[in-house]
Amino acid sequence: MTAWLARRVAASIAIVFLVVTLTFVLMDLAPGKPMLGPPERPVDPQAEAVLEAQFGLNGSLGVRYVSYVRQLARGNLGESFGLRRPVADALAEAIPNTLLLAGAALFVDFLIGLALGVYQALRAHRLPDVVLGNVTLFLYSVPTFWLGLILLLVFGEWLRWFPVAGMSDPILCPSVSSFYCLMDRLWHLALPALTLGFVGAAGTARFQRAAMLEVAGQDYIRTARAKGASERRVVLRHQLRNALLSFITLFGLAFPFLLTGAVLIETIFAWPGMGRLATDAILRRDFPVVNAAVLLASTLVVAGSLLADVLLAVADPRLRVRGGETV
Amino acid sequence: MLRRLAFVVATLAVAACQRSGGCTGAYCGTLVIAAVGEPDILLPPSTQEAVSRDIEEQLFLKLADIGLSTNTIGDEDFQPLLAERWEWDGPLTLVFHIDARARWQDGQPVTASDVAFSFDAYTDSMVASPFRAALRRISSVKARDPQTAVFRFRERYPEMFYDAVYHMRVLPAHLLRGVPRDQWKTAPFGRQPVGDGPYRFVAWKAGQTIELVADSTFFLGRPAIRRVIWRFTPDIVVATTQLVADQADGRDQLVTPDNIERARAAPQLSIYPYRGATYGYLGFNLTANGDSTHPHPIFAEREVRRALTMAVDRARLLKSVFGDFAKVPPGPVSQLWWIWDPELRQLPYDTAQAKRLLSARGWRDSDHDGIRDRGGQPLAFHVLVPATSTIRKTYARLLQEQFRLVGAQMDIDEVDNSVVSERAAAGKFDAIMLAWNTDPTPTSGIPQVWTRAGIGRSNYLRYDNPAFDALVDRASAAATREQARTAWRAAIETVSADAPGIFLFANDNVAAFHNRVTDVRIRPDSWAALLRTWRIPPDRLIDRDRVER
Repeated sequence: MTAWLARRVAASIAIVFLVVTLTFVLMDLAPGKPMLGPPERPVDPQAEAVLEAQFGLNGSLGVRYVSYVRQLARGNLGESFGLRRPVADALAEAIPNTLLLAGAALFVDFLIGLALGVYQALRAHRLPDVVLGNVTLFLYSVPTFWLGLILLLVFGEWLRWFPVAGMSDPILCPSVSSFYCLMDRLWHLALPALTLGFVGAAGTARFQRAAMLEVAGQDYIRTARAKGASERRVVLRHQLRNALLSFITLFGLAFPFLLTGAVLIETIFAWPGMGRLATDAILRRDFPVVNAAVLLASTLVVAGSLLADVLLAVADPRLRVRGGETV
Repeated sequence: MLRRLAFVVATLAVAACQRSGGCTGAYCGTLVIAAVGEPDILLPPSTQEAVSRDIEEQLFLKLADIGLSTNTIGDEDFQPLLAERWEWDGPLTLVFHIDARARWQDGQPVTASDVAFSFDAYTDSMVASPFRAALRRISSVKARDPQTAVFRFRERYPEMFYDAVYHMRVLPAHLLRGVPRDQWKTAPFGRQPVGDGPYRFVAWKAGQTIELVADSTFFLGRPAIRRVIWRFTPDIVVATTQLVADQADGRDQLVTPDNIERARAAPQLSIYPYRGATYGYLGFNLTANGDSTHPHPIFAEREVRRALTMAVDRARLLKSVFGDFAKVPPGPVSQLWWIWDPELRQLPYDTAQAKRLLSARGWRDSDHDGIRDRGGQPLAFHVLVPATSTIRKTYARLLQEQFRLVGAQMDIDEVDNSVVSERAAAGKFDAIMLAWNTDPTPTSGIPQVWTRAGIGRSNYLRYDNPAFDALVDRASAAATREQARTAWRAAIETVSADAPGIFLFANDNVAAFHNRVTDVRIRPDSWAALLRTWRIPPDRLIDRDRVER
């Protein structure tokens, strides 16, 4: 198990390094210069050259890459051209906001998705299953940004039940300093988290329904029933528990997916997270921020996948490995 | 379950009521501005973003500022700010007397040394200030004594006073002298500035808000609105939604007719149209795409450009895109400029004449495919359009149809702003949709974009007409406003006749503010310049105005 884990960790680091290198090269090759600004801003070639030198943009690609890797090894992510501050500071402010949004969305996703999946499986091929199946199919096929815009329009602008943008009331609650402000934060979180969560839940429900139905036909379920176990016990202890094994893989991959899916939602709801930071940085050709965002996203994807494998190995004895061989 | 739900609802209701009461009186208002984008830095010489300049307007004073007339010639229309008065000491020397009451917000007095230091910083190549070029005709700024700053100019010209005061905000030398100039771009001061303006900096929450609070001791009078908060949003639609949903109090530009209609329909909002500083056009690259040493195979010919201009019904396009909130410009002119005159001679909309001109230049539809051609080359070209601009994308599609009617084919390349900038600077385009946001005077905007001096900088089209350049020089150097007006008229008519671009729109700006805000005066070149004089009367205060922290 230890050797397997070490190999997986080493492979994960290599993948992240490769992604970061590719991003560095591709961003350099992409058209657009970071110091040029919008086309309608008067061009001052001298000022542009000074800023390029000050931000270390005037060397060859190789020289800049070596310098970047050296700085990265020291934990220095560089300085943002657009934000005029260290990238690490900008990330440190944005990451918790995205984690809050993604965490809340994941909660909604799994809570609703699991419940619906189990409910549908228990009533498979009957009217509630058919109706819910179509509803989840509809939600699953809806683009996240579209659902976000609809919720924003209906519940934000028309009914005014929820705030339309931001993560807190800037006047009453610039920070979470009281119960009132905690409620305010949750109130602001509601629409973006529900948007992300609903779309995720639709997929999760379909996945969970299929897993439950697959498990329902297994011998051990029949055995449990033959032994006289109650239906509740059969479903919760035997059917759901085994169906959850494949769910762990989904969990491992869902989190990074939510982080990337949050890009558009953060823009629509003006949520100050990683997605918005990365989008702005790409449009501004703010290379250090883009590189750092990719580094973070790829690390999360790889770590999520690794975590899912480890959890699966822990949860399912059949998948446990010892000394590189399946037991 | 129902009991639990009732408990949660009751708790929320109690919590919601907990912040009532608070400030009452004439100095209690809170203004939340829905801003698009976020400042890069709050250090005036290093600032690039428009929203930074709006905020800096409240934090850092100029020596004097332009009046509501936006007249840039002479000094009679300028209002004192840091300088209580000024006088001319000979033709090239301007002396400012600093108001002895002016203080930095850390208690230090504002002195003439701060003025000299600021000029030195703005003109230092290491700071790379975008305003450096605008100060090139000032040779030095010195402190004669703590209250007297002396400006010396290299030459005499009508906008000397404007150049001395408009571009430069005075900086606190005692706080910035120790910061190496090559580090100003990321100086911590720029995220926690100490100014001398009507408002003090309170907090900057990245991606969310910047909060300022009124300086009750401000020497030119206490601002009536106690707190101003800029709330950052990624785009204009989100900003307008905040405004319409009553989660923000104002926005300086609504940009599109859709947003204007949404704001107009919101009962709590008042609409404020004011003169816009932007003009937009379809520009023709006069040199070959990607090779500035050769003429463009289509647009190098003046008559072809004139024909394409005459093929476009600019008034109809304008109505279709902007409704009533823009005007057809008589040339490369914004409504902000005092030389704006719709009576200037322009090329007419005349498709028959356009077709005749094209045929006369040999562009005929020889293969009957609907597109004219000459020597095997079709009358076809690509236009570069920023993907982020709804207005310009719409215009491009409408133009495409108008050109088709005279046998010209225009293909649209929608790309992001960075790509537009790079390709524009490198001359890698046939045509380009541009919209220039101008400062209050044509003497900086026109030479940068339309004269030979601007080639290699902002004259992306490489338009080069010595007669036009001479008229611009004459206008810039004219001693009186009338002499300048005559020269500018001739210059604008010259460039319009040459048709290096089709001048499509000069939009009105439309702002929207909560109707509890009174005394709203907007100076067209900088909407926030007079914010300190706006008020929210005590009888119109709402909950967010009263909040004490």
